[in-house]
Amino acid sequence: MSILQHNGAAIVCMAGKNCVAIASDTRFGLSQQTVSCDFQKVFKQSDRLFVGLAGLATDVQTLRNTLKFKREPALALYELREERVMKPEAFAALLSHMLYEKRFGPYFVEPVVAGLKDDGSPFLCGMDLIGAPVYTDDYVVSGTCTPNLNGMCESMWRPDMGPDELFETISQCLLASVDRDALSGWGATVHVLTPQGVTSKQLKGRMD
Amino acid sequence: MEAGYGLTTFSPSGKLPQLTSAMTATNEGKTSLGIKAKNGVVLCTDKKLSSKLIESADVHKLEKITPSCGFVYSGVGPDYRVLVKKARKQAQAYYLTYRGLKPIRALVQDTAAVCQEYTQSGGVRPFGVSLLVAGFDDEGPQLFQVDPSGAFFGWQASAIGKNSKNAKSFLEKRYNEDVELDDAIHTALLTMREGFEGEMNEHNIELGVIGEDRVFKVLTPAEVKDYLDESN
Amino acid sequence: MAALDLDVATLKPVETGGFDFGMTARNEQIAAAAGGRPMPQPMSTGTTICGMVYDGGIVLGADTRATAGSEVADKNCEKIHYLAPNIYCCGAGTAADTEKTTELIASQLELLRLSTGTQSRVVAAVTLLKRMLFKYQGHIGAALVLGGVDCTGPGLYQIYPHGSTSKLPYVTMGSGSLAAMSVFETEYKDGMDEAGAVALVKNAIRAGIFNDLGSGSNVDVTIIRAGGASEVIRGYETPNDTAPLRAAYARPKALIPPAAATAVLSTVVSVSDADAMEL
Repeated sequence: MSILQHNGAAIVCMAGKNCVAIASDTRFGLSQQTVSCDFQKVFKQSDRLFVGLAGLATDVQTLRNTLKFKREPALALYELREERVMKPEAFAALLSHMLYEKRFGPYFVEPVVAGLKDDGSPFLCGMDLIGAPVYTDDYVVSGTCTPNLNGMCESMWRPDMGPDELFETISQCLLASVDRDALSGWGATVHVLTPQGVTSKQLKGRMD
Repeated sequence: MEAGYGLTTFSPSGKLPQLTSAMTATNEGKTSLGIKAKNGVVLCTDKKLSSKLIESADVHKLEKITPSCGFVYSGVGPDYRVLVKKARKQAQAYYLTYRGLKPIRALVQDTAAVCQEYTQSGGVRPFGVSLLVAGFDDEGPQLFQVDPSGAFFGWQASAIGKNSKNAKSFLEKRYNEDVELDDAIHTALLTMREGFEGEMNEHNIELGVIGEDRVFKVLTPAEVKDYLDESN
Repeated sequence: MAALDLDVATLKPVETGGFDFGMTARNEQIAAAAGGRPMPQPMSTGTTICGMVYDGGIVLGADTRATAGSEVADKNCEKIHYLAPNIYCCGAGTAADTEKTTELIASQLELLRLSTGTQSRVVAAVTLLKRMLFKYQGHIGAALVLGGVDCTGPGLYQIYPHGSTSKLPYVTMGSGSLAAMSVFETEYKDGMDEAGAVALVKNAIRAGIFNDLGSGSNVDVTIIRAGGASEVIRGYETPNDTAPLRAAYARPKALIPPAAATAVLSTVVSVSDADAMEL
């Protein structure tokens, strides 16, 4: 099992009409042993920007702390000096840049970025562990069951979903996918972002 | 003044003579001015040369920093090139990190920080230039001035270099914030003509403009000539 | 490539590198603990890319599939990268490497253009790229097809990850290069016109899309004409578009979850815009 599979994760982002959603499972495992079922993998950067980090848990938390507390100098620079919240496009570019800096000693993390652009339209971006960006306008997935998630999204995603529809769709995609992945599941969290605000929900799922 | 190895030290009266001298160097330089219009910014500079044997086409005082930002200076030319080079490199580093053009204010802040650094570092002297920075970003059209001390200001219209006091009082009388870019160009030439020694032509005047297309453009001598003819 | 990698003392062109090797030792420990089990691999663009010279310039072509192992990670990625207004570059190999390397060289070329006030030369771009790739001894996995037109005319180059280059009239790279090359070897002629060249490039990429598993989806084409004007055509041909098929039948009801289908344990609402309380 690759080190990226060691702790288990399933994360998916989906675009709707003037809304975007990001969902993750909550399991933290050590290979086949489940240690915790409230592990956070999706992090709020601003009211209009969330980042999901799938992969090796220690790197997930290190990268999250770098983004949040230690503040990547470039990020602190951006927000303090430019007196504005970072656009999702710029954040994705920065994150990709940070990962590529460690090209020859990477974090074992595959991030996804979900946000709303200035005009309220959705922004989605996935990345590999050294920051190769994947920009999409429908959905993007990451974690230990990406084949399942890709398959679910491929069948269930449809254009122009409203926030409520988007919530049901992304939730069902995630729950169905993790049911067929031993390494992820044990609860799920969904955030739906609209220009008005963020709705966060804990889902009831299988605990096996 | 006493010779010292620690440069830019305070005089007993609390002044920084090095900076005062740098400002003098700046104020001795050829006049440059900028005007912010409703829909853009114009920079204009006096490019008079010390000998008519110099190829005027090879002298560039207006420099593009990013596609949507340009600099002009008054003062010591070679010092200016150092600041231009640094600003361009910083703008590229910004682009590689954020995949977006560097905002004008950030460009100005970083360039001013370089100027400030050279007032407190050992073994260096302050830059002998003031800059005018013109740009257009999400905040709209912008005009800034950066001084050798590292101070910077946003302006609606300003002038630096020789004769800048007169030019500024001329601009104060003329300025109107609803002015269109084309009219601002004419005002710039008119202001420049005040106190210009000799006749202005397309070889001794440089014009740079940025409009709503957010593309900073140094006008060709032919284009400068057209504006000069129109305003005659 | 540090965030603000500025060599203010020497003012040399933005140097490549600045990689952070801080975690390399830890990662080697993890690899050792993993025994023979595979370590995570970066995303690759299996890829078919190609280019050719025609009598009015250069045509570059690429497929749009990116893969992570055998999984399609991106169905419509962009593999023809901008280097300068008159120079573009197709990338195959490690996705991040092709992306970041071309971005870096594009940045260096722009600085060079600003200070010289002239159009970028194709050889300059090739030289910057090959020097960087050679320095990293093939560890930067970028295999490139670079094409451009400058004052010396059109130039088309093939660049290998180790830094070797060749100047050729037609070039293919990537896992689909053999499929694409078979088309060029059959149909290429010197001095073709633009329409013929674009059609040939398109067919070469199609050969990769349909015969190479690492390549797929659409054909992207970029034309760089003599004089330096470029035309970037994303999705020049989309032979694998699923939208018409999806539109042709009604989506089964089972695929549209009804409202409140999902069991929710708790909800937290945070309002960011006080004017819009209706959430």
